[in-house]
Amino acid sequence: MAKFVTIGERIHCISPVIRDAMATRNPEPILKRAKEQLEAGATYLDVNIGPAENDGEDLMKWAVKLLQENFDNVPLALDTANKKAIEAGITVYNREKGKPIVNSADAGGRIENIDLAAANDAIVIALCSAEGIPSDNDERMMYCQNMLERGMMLGMEPTDLWFDPLFLVVKGMQDKQMEVLEAIKMFSDMGLNSTGGLSNNSNGMPKHIRPIMDASLVAMCMMQGLTSAIVNPCDVRLMETIKSCDVFKNNTLYADSYLEI
Amino acid sequence: MPFNQKPQKFNAKINTVTIGSGDKTVTLGGGSTFPFYTFDAPAENAPKVGVEISDMGLEGASEGIKAYYEGASTMADIAKKAAAMEGADFVALLLEGGDPNGADKPVDELIAIVKEVADAIDCPLVVEGCKNVEKDAELLPKVAEVLQGRNVLIMSEKEENYKAIGAAAGLAYDQIVGAESAVDINLAKQLNVITTQLGVKPQKIVMNVGSACVGYGYEYVVSTMDRIKGAALSQNDNMLQMPIITPVASETWGVKEASASEADMPEWGPQDERGIDMEIMTAAADLVSGSDAVILRHPQSVATISKMIKALV
Repeated sequence: MAKFVTIGERIHCISPVIRDAMATRNPEPILKRAKEQLEAGATYLDVNIGPAENDGEDLMKWAVKLLQENFDNVPLALDTANKKAIEAGITVYNREKGKPIVNSADAGGRIENIDLAAANDAIVIALCSAEGIPSDNDERMMYCQNMLERGMMLGMEPTDLWFDPLFLVVKGMQDKQMEVLEAIKMFSDMGLNSTGGLSNNSNGMPKHIRPIMDASLVAMCMMQGLTSAIVNPCDVRLMETIKSCDVFKNNTLYADSYLEI
Repeated sequence: MPFNQKPQKFNAKINTVTIGSGDKTVTLGGGSTFPFYTFDAPAENAPKVGVEISDMGLEGASEGIKAYYEGASTMADIAKKAAAMEGADFVALLLEGGDPNGADKPVDELIAIVKEVADAIDCPLVVEGCKNVEKDAELLPKVAEVLQGRNVLIMSEKEENYKAIGAAAGLAYDQIVGAESAVDINLAKQLNVITTQLGVKPQKIVMNVGSACVGYGYEYVVSTMDRIKGAALSQNDNMLQMPIITPVASETWGVKEASASEADMPEWGPQDERGIDMEIMTAAADLVSGSDAVILRHPQSVATISKMIKALV
């Protein structure tokens, strides 16, 4: 089995520093966050440029080149609602370390992002929802099937669709948590890859609690067969848990210094 | 239905490590397939064969080995003959005389031998320690120092002395470091991790993951090498992508099948032949399990294994 794939989420235009850096094409803050995340053990970096309606294409190209040139062609997840920007980013993307990830498609209005990924030989994150939160796993799996079939009809490898069960916040939806875990098991039983914004579970919790909740959930998810997550790799507790679970799953060979690599 | 060959492709590669300087170098590793799986992809670099000589000269060598080196009276002569052996890619100098439980030669004396050997030959050189971790920690950094510029492989860096040997060979004197573990996958990886944490580049490390003579717990060697190549290629574990070198001769010539004289064991046949058999069988098994280089002593073993490699690659 392959190692768990962590997608670093910290290059996100919701952060004022990053938003400003993107607007002024200032490399420093972006490179700094990229470096921190890679040193902390991220495999992929997510590049969220927001809706980017005006200059999305130019901005995504700039960001892709900036990150790949500075970090040995680090693989990236291109994250924006602007499809043209994702396509533009892929035109300058170097695949040496892994295919680009299109972040993201869903079974509703954003389903065409699957077509985009298929046309560009990319991976796509396929969110198992159409409008709002799926009411149960029957609904989740229906979306999963729809998106899987669409991708395969377009010639995609099933493993290039990374299904997102849609992680739910504990405060308010505590009774739905086991369903999410069961959905992951169903993806896994079908031989499919999966990912998602796992830290959503701990939204609204005190800062010191969140790493504990996130780490516990990632361990349970990995047991169920989750193959990736979009996370903050600078969360030490979370990364230590992922690395330890990778050892238990025989995804990586144990060495005494395994936490340091 | 026609047979459709589907090559097993890995998104990972064994590191390429070059030993030696000038015109004569050998390059280990570089492949992205399991050993000899040339049907998946052509081999980047064929496995290499080294000839082992000892600071103790020909003391205790088998008849056939002594016959090959006949007339060689100095270490320089022995080294030249070793380098000229048919099928030899490099020479490995074993400093066994340094062992405090053996001849306990002083470091200066051993360094003089190292220099004599290095000056006599221009082929790539590998230097192996005396098996004692404290003595090696003192001896091998000095070896690395006097051989500056030759880009030699300094073997016998172990968990107990990795700081002294790794820092001297891999950093101060820019040689190649041979990280040695004894048939223990987790330790093999750990040693690579801590050696790179010293600052040694992964491309400057070769692993000796340990060996045994066939028939002496050899299955563990196979499973260790298998697991390492598997992790290096299928899990893209860059702390296990170093090429593997295996000193075979020092394991095989010590077992009773190779060392018992024909007078003691007439029913076993000539001693020299038994030793060659053990050496060839072990080396062949090491190579198909994942060794990128093997170190042998007998000229017939060297010629045979080198021929086997050429036939398979």
